[in-house]
Amino acid sequence: MKQLFYVAKRNPLIFPALLILIFWIFAALFGPQFTRFSYTEMDMDYQMAAPGTAGHFLGTDALGRDIWARIIYGSSSILTIALLTSLFSSLAGVIIGFNAGYFGGAVDRFFLRIMDIVMAIPPLVLSMVVLGVIGNSNIGTLTLIVSIAYTPATARVARGAMLSNKNMEYVDAARLRGESHIYIMFREILPNTIGPIIVEVTARFAYSIMMVASLGFLGVGLQPPTPDWGMMVIENKTIIRAAPWAVLYPSLAIASLVIAISLFSDFMSKVVYNDQ
Amino acid sequence: MTFLESFLRRLGGMVITLVTMSLLIFLLVELMPGDAAQRVLGQSATPEAVAALRESMGLNDPIWVRYGRWAAGILRGDLGTSIYMQGVQIGSIFWRKVGNSIILALFALMFYVPISIVLGVLAGVKAGKWIDSIISFFGLATMALPEFVSGILLMTIFAVELKWLPITSVIPIGESVWSNLQILILPALSITLVMFGYVSRMQRSSMISVMNSDYIRSATLKGLPMRTVIFKHALRNALLPTITIIGMNMGWLFGGLIVVETLFGYPGLGSLTMSAVKTLDTPMIEVCTLFITAIFVVSTAITDFLYGFFNPRIRYPGGE
Repeated sequence: MKQLFYVAKRNPLIFPALLILIFWIFAALFGPQFTRFSYTEMDMDYQMAAPGTAGHFLGTDALGRDIWARIIYGSSSILTIALLTSLFSSLAGVIIGFNAGYFGGAVDRFFLRIMDIVMAIPPLVLSMVVLGVIGNSNIGTLTLIVSIAYTPATARVARGAMLSNKNMEYVDAARLRGESHIYIMFREILPNTIGPIIVEVTARFAYSIMMVASLGFLGVGLQPPTPDWGMMVIENKTIIRAAPWAVLYPSLAIASLVIAISLFSDFMSKVVYNDQ
Repeated sequence: MTFLESFLRRLGGMVITLVTMSLLIFLLVELMPGDAAQRVLGQSATPEAVAALRESMGLNDPIWVRYGRWAAGILRGDLGTSIYMQGVQIGSIFWRKVGNSIILALFALMFYVPISIVLGVLAGVKAGKWIDSIISFFGLATMALPEFVSGILLMTIFAVELKWLPITSVIPIGESVWSNLQILILPALSITLVMFGYVSRMQRSSMISVMNSDYIRSATLKGLPMRTVIFKHALRNALLPTITIIGMNMGWLFGGLIVVETLFGYPGLGSLTMSAVKTLDTPMIEVCTLFITAIFVVSTAITDFLYGFFNPRIRYPGGE
């Protein structure tokens, strides 16, 4: 705890980052109560209206839909998918990486080979092709595919943490007490490696936001009319000259969220690894 | 293990990965719902016509026969035929688009490698000072942004507001990219912003660790000017990890090109892949994905190998 405050004092940027993060979480949970328009409502009199006209705080897009409302509604889907993805890929990564590192030998080689193969395709390409081929993405398929694409990376971190712990004396002690492998892995070693794993989860969260936004931008994310930040950018790109706000504000929403989370994950790694 | 042996071992591992990848990509794409023959002929085709085309496309053969035929074709240099652009040989457009992507990638490399190294060295030498905080925050921020977000920001500033550069990077029909070099600037800058964070961070931390080493301390204590210490002594060793990161990211760069090229409408491998996915053009998806993966695998392997070559301490497993 002391360490937390010490690092926070030396990295004051964490405070605006936390504020932005809290803002988006709040927007995702309660945001729809603070918008005058719904995300599908088309204001036919005010298409491509500039920010501030007729109650449209951030303006409207080509169909007269309120940008502010679409950004606020969009925050909940991107946060949900990214949160689930970082949790699932970390969970799968810990289970696979711990088993591979703990048992070693053939189990390790088997997992490593599979991981190498999955890792050989860039995660964005893998997710884009699979989602494009399946078609009609929803929160479920997006979460599943992105989690699979990210699991090898988290498994590597977990395996490394396991390898540096499994020959320690407390593990030998537990083994001599006759504890089961499962108990040793998850009750003895996991608490001792929780630091690097928390860092990995927060970093994964930032990557997931980037990935979900990019997939939305490429048109293989959530399907219209669900508002998706990445999709809003590509939808409105054709009107960037006439209504730059329709493209700029969703981009800034993505930017503020990913930068805030990156600062947070950077901060966590400084706390855990005691590095300035 | 001799040098040649470790080289051959890596080569073998690379070939195995590539073959497995090709099988995986083929299965993934071929097993997707829907019928390729139906897509060629459209919804109004008679069942007889679809059945006849299925037979002539060889879609009724078992999957391993089809994989064998496809893989053999790739090895001969025959990339197959596009479904969406009916009857067009993939090879006739594919290599031109790959060429465009390579030009864009090299153009981006010319921007971000020098900028990142110079600013990374500066941040490393001035670690903890305000200039380091600014460079490090900027790197963290741009690294976190998806390519299309930095692209949109650049586009809004330089194309919409200032009108210095074109919004889209389309090459006019009949012209080549060489006579339209200004279209490369915004896409290359978008890539630069993303890569800058990775490369400068790596350069900063390797610079810090080298500057704290004994031989630099003795060079400084010997009374050598700081400039000589940094450029003659420290940089030489501090560049190695950076070169590795740049090499490792070459493959990643090609994945990132999908987003950048789609944003700017640049006719390269990335936008080709994107349109193939959009139009469910199976043979095209397979070739593009395989190619991107191959670049990724090969660049990682070469980087690994060169790293061992330049740094003999890690060349052999277990040998310190």
